[in-house]
This record gives sequence, C-alpha cells and structure tokens, in this order.
Amino acid sequence: MAFDGLDIALSLLKIVIVLAALLNVTPIMVWVERRGSALIQDRVGPNRVGPFGLFQAIADAAKFLLKEDVIPREANKWLYTIAPMFGLIPALTTIAVIPWGRPFRLSDGRLFEPIVADVNVGILLIFALASLSVYGIVTAGWASNNKYSLFGGIRSSAQMISYELALTLSAISALMVAGSLRLTDVVWKQTGSFVLFDTIRIPAWNIFSPAMWLSCIVFSVAAFAETNRLPFDFAEADAELVAGYHTEYSAMKFALFFMSEYMAMATMSALVTTLFLGGWDIPWYNEPATFLGFILSVIAFVVKVTFLLLTFVWVRWTIPRLKYDILMRVGWKVFLPLAVVNLLLVSWFIAERWI
Amino acid sequence: MINFVIFFFFAALAVIFALMVILHRNPVVSALSLVVSLFSLAVMYILLEVPFLAALQVIIYAGAIMVLFLFVIMLLNLQRRREETTRPVQQFLGFTASAAFAVALIYYLAKYAVMTLPNGPFLADARTIGIRLFETYFFPFEMVSILLLAAIVGALLLSARGLPSPDPERSEGANAPEVPGR
Repeated sequence: MAFDGLDIALSLLKIVIVLAALLNVTPIMVWVERRGSALIQDRVGPNRVGPFGLFQAIADAAKFLLKEDVIPREANKWLYTIAPMFGLIPALTTIAVIPWGRPFRLSDGRLFEPIVADVNVGILLIFALASLSVYGIVTAGWASNNKYSLFGGIRSSAQMISYELALTLSAISALMVAGSLRLTDVVWKQTGSFVLFDTIRIPAWNIFSPAMWLSCIVFSVAAFAETNRLPFDFAEADAELVAGYHTEYSAMKFALFFMSEYMAMATMSALVTTLFLGGWDIPWYNEPATFLGFILSVIAFVVKVTFLLLTFVWVRWTIPRLKYDILMRVGWKVFLPLAVVNLLLVSWFIAERWI
Repeated sequence: MINFVIFFFFAALAVIFALMVILHRNPVVSALSLVVSLFSLAVMYILLEVPFLAALQVIIYAGAIMVLFLFVIMLLNLQRRREETTRPVQQFLGFTASAAFAVALIYYLAKYAVMTLPNGPFLADARTIGIRLFETYFFPFEMVSILLLAAIVGALLLSARGLPSPDPERSEGANAPEVPGR
C-alpha cells in the first residue's frame, strides 16, 4: 500500500465532513425536538431568538459555556470529570465505519470511497464502541455520589446489556444476507430492485424482504433502548429520579451528555439506514459512478437519516415511559425470542436460496 | 515506526491500569481500570492485524462482562468497608506464593511464548474462526456452552433460595398482612 499526499488529504476531508455533520446534529436536533414537541402538544415552543427560534441552540451553548461548573464535594472528582468524556468518545467514533455515499472515480482514476474507515469488521466495531458508551452513564451515576444518579446509572447498565442482545441478533440477519461484516457490502447488496408479479419493482432494501422486516422492527426498538430515549429513558426518568445520572452535572459537562445522546441517536439512525433502508441507495434509480451520483446518494442517505431522527422525536413525545419491570420483561421475553426466531427464519431462507 | 509507538503506548497503558486494578483501594476504580487495560489489549490485536479478535475482546470483556462486574460492585456499596488485618504468616505466604508464580510465569513465557513466533500471517478472520469452531473444535465449544449453562442454573438456584415460591396461591398470600409470630 502506497499513500501519497492526496490520499491523506482525502482521508482528512472525509473525517472533517463526518465530524462536522455529527457535531451539528446536536444543535439542530435540540431545536427540532423543542419545536416538534411544541407542535405535537399544541404549544408554540421557543420562538424568541432568531427566526423561528433557530438561534436558541447558540444561546443555549453560550449559557452552557458561561455557567458555573459545579463539582459536588462528596463526589469522586476524577471519575466525575472523565465520565462525560467516556460517553462522548464512543458517540463520536462509531460513525467512522458507516458508508454515506456512492463511491466514484476521481479524474485521475482513483476511487473515492465516502467512508472514513472501511474495515472488514465494521459492524462489530460499532457494537464494540457502542457497548463502551454505557460506562459514561454508569460512571457518572456512581461518581456523583447521589442515590438518584446511582439508580439512573445502574438501571441504564442493566437496560443496555439486555437490549444489546436483541440489537445484535437482529443485525446479524442483515449481515447473513450480505455475507459480510463490512457495511459497504451490506449496502451494495441492497442496491437494485426485485420484481414482483412481473410489474411491480420493489427496491431490494432489507426492510422490504419477507424475512427481514421483523428484524428491522426489533432493531429499531432496541436502538431506542440503547440510546436511552423515551419510552426507554430509565437512566434519566425525570418523574422518578430528578434527572437520573446527570442530576449533579452542570455547565459544559452536562452539555456533553446531551451531545452524546443526540450523536448516539444520529449513529443509530445511520445504522438502521445502512442495515435495513438501503443506505445511500436511491429507489428505482441507478446512480452513476460520477460526482453527480455521489451527491445524489449522499442526499438520499441524509434524507433517510433525517426521517429516522424525526421518528425518534415523534415517538418521544407520543409514547409515555414504560414501567421498569415491563421494560425488562419486554426485552427478554418478547424482543429476544423475536430476534432469535427471525434469525432462524432468515437462515432458512438463505439455506433454501430464496434470498 | 508508528506501529512501534502505538504498541509501547498501549502496552504501557495496559500494564499501568492492570497495576491500578490490584493497587487501588476503591473497587469501582479497579473495575474501570480493568476496562482500560482490556481495551489496550484490544489495540494489540489490531496491531497484529486481527481486528475481528479486537472487536470481540471489546464487546465481550469490556462491553459485557465488566459492565456486569461494575453493576454488582455498585450494588454492594463497598465504599466504607475497612480492610481486614492480616497476620504476618499470611502476608509471608501470600508474597512467597505470588513471587514463585511470577518467576515461573516469566520463565515459561520466555522459554515458549517469546522464542517461537508464528511464521507468516496468522489467519483469524470471522470465517476462519467460525469454520474452526464448528469443525475442529466443535465438541469443546459445545462443552463450554454447557458449562456456562450449568453456572447460570447454579446462580439462579442460589439466588432463588429463600424467596417465596412462584406458586400462585402462595404469592397471593405474600401480599396479605403478616401474621405476628409466624
């Protein structure tokens, strides 16, 4: 492998694009969440700062930076300080292995792959880093030395371990169909379309496959639980635990938890898009391997991710929080068996060569 | 060159945090240090060009097992407990045994592990490992899963002892006010 300056520049460019997109998710999503919740609850929402309250996020950021950063006297200072970083690092890094556009040839013939790191164990890397994100919450809960924080942290760790199983098992079906752990292969498998009754052309996305729609549902629900969003936000549970694991946090440390939550949401949406919604594939259209095709495919990817992010907001303000025992019962007795049954179904389909 | 720097950085990290595990008084800090140590070991696998094993190392050890450890430690609330005093004989025996073990470990590692490096790249991608597990090592693989099942059943049995039985009649009675002197 020979690298030259252009390769390094292109890699840096990709990293900058992905990080800029990811970091901008938080302020945009905070605005969408506030205005969206207001819309759903028939209120106005924040509309004072800038047009439609669009600059509210900037005002919030200024407030986070200027507020006093309080560390409780009885807290474990080291762990209390590094806990938000523990949460932020996995949220920032997992996006690296997700492809976000169609590859195209540059003018000198080299292939531009719109993915930061195309490793052959892509999906495992995501699960590995996502499984580390629980430490941010657990450490924050414990280091605060506060009963409610501890409850939030412990609940979250139990919840994330339980739903990780359903999440992983339902993702395996998509990987089995593609025959690879590499996410670019998963997307390529979903390009094109299959023909029904000689007339209807359906995009070959995994969600439309007769064996896979179930795993898409299980994966999406487990994704809600993994990102600690309503109806599964037991780590926070503001009705019972004040604010859960970040009760004691203030200023920028609190903002870091906020940011990692929204970035985890964005990563999960991107992952659902990649595994089940065809990634950057545009339905009924064969993207050319040119710059135009690349731009169109990136737009398709962003539209799909945005749709899923809006679903996150929509569900949050529609479905109330479950009870904790129901969460655990549903996780172990409904979603885990569903994922296993679906896995067997997909294996059967593959063994019979139907998909 | 850059591999060299990465190796020594993460090797040092692994050793320092492994020492933290046994030297720090706070069990929560020990558990978190073990997570960092295990993560540094995963970087070693990446340097050996087997990212599959690195991902598994992080998922299973750092992501699953250590979360459970931490969960239990936090629930036990060991913070205020004082260390039990040990007698000099115990200390002597402890130090001697660990020193003997360390010497033996270093000796055999130097003799067998370091001297014979595998020649050629060793294949450990998902496909190779899967085929090996389900062909060559099928029996031990299944035995391990039965061992784990036995451990789960044992843990359930131990924790369920002393709880009211899940009989529907009995559990109705559990909600009734307690009869004094029963």
